[in-house]
Amino acid sequence: MSLPPASGTGRYFARAAKSIRLIRQGCTNRPFFHISVTHRRRLNSQPVIEQLGSYDPMPNTNNEKLVALNLERVKFWLGKGAHVTDPVAELLGLSGFFPIHPRSYMTAWRNRRTERENIAKLEAEQAKAKPPAS
Amino acid sequence: MLSQNSLLKRTWPMLVQCAEAHRKPRWLPVAKSKIYRIPKRPVISEDERLELMRLHNNYKTQMRSIRRFYHEEMIKEKSTRESASSEMSQRLEAEEWARCVELNEKWNAQVAVEREERRKLEVAALEEYALKKIEADDIKLKERIAKASEEIKKQKELSSTFITPENLDAAIDHALANPIDYNFAIDLKGNKYEGRDTQIQYTKAKEEKSASATA
Repeated sequence: MSLPPASGTGRYFARAAKSIRLIRQGCTNRPFFHISVTHRRRLNSQPVIEQLGSYDPMPNTNNEKLVALNLERVKFWLGKGAHVTDPVAELLGLSGFFPIHPRSYMTAWRNRRTERENIAKLEAEQAKAKPPAS
Repeated sequence: MLSQNSLLKRTWPMLVQCAEAHRKPRWLPVAKSKIYRIPKRPVISEDERLELMRLHNNYKTQMRSIRRFYHEEMIKEKSTRESASSEMSQRLEAEEWARCVELNEKWNAQVAVEREERRKLEVAALEEYALKKIEADDIKLKERIAKASEEIKKQKELSSTFITPENLDAAIDHALANPIDYNFAIDLKGNKYEGRDTQIQYTKAKEEKSASATA
């Protein structure tokens, strides 16, 4: 059986709340996500209303995480009042479609902090290791 | 037999991989060893909390305006689509229709001219064909007539030898006077010996053979 089309095969109810979310489509140890519109109360395993893009979280040989987005349809669904989940909002923020998500800032500064701490730890260790040698 | 469409449009997946497959059921109580375990809360410093709050407030405000913008855009688009049936658009549509009709008529005239030319050619070809056929038929008929007249001439010539009531007796007499015997025999070599009472002339070798056989 062929794969369902990107236009989606899920049933559509006009008044029900929609959400734009990541839906995991990869297999074990190989995450891959579809960015899809679906009803908010629907499970991720159920058919979606429409697929808006894809996200590959594993860096490729050029150390890139690829994201594909159909921004026209994203605009359309936002106009219809669809909710956007945090991970998708982060991706959209990094793509410049939305303002940068606060969580992106948070992860960035936390990563910087841990790096700083690691460097400090390393320096301290080196400083500790040096005096006996000298 | 299930159609592919019904498989694609199903609301529930055929294969459900539920999280409970590797978890304990909801109704089981907390394990004895975990009763007094208190999960560690994430520690967020006051500065970080305030900063995050500020960022989130900004973000929410911006997002609200973005959402409103797209929503209004959608409404605007909808209204423009609905106003497509207004007077202006109707006039434009009528003009378009008139233009289309004119073009169509032009094409029709062109096609009519072409059709007329084609029809003339076809009629000419048909006429030619008919004339040819008539000519061929005439020739054939003439040939047949000639053949028939020849036959008649031949028969007329032959008619002098016909047996008629007048010369019937003479013919009978002639036939009785000259009997013809159509019987004949054939030997191994294919020689024909006519007549019932014809004497066969045996060859020399045969005679010798027969002589030796008797001896």
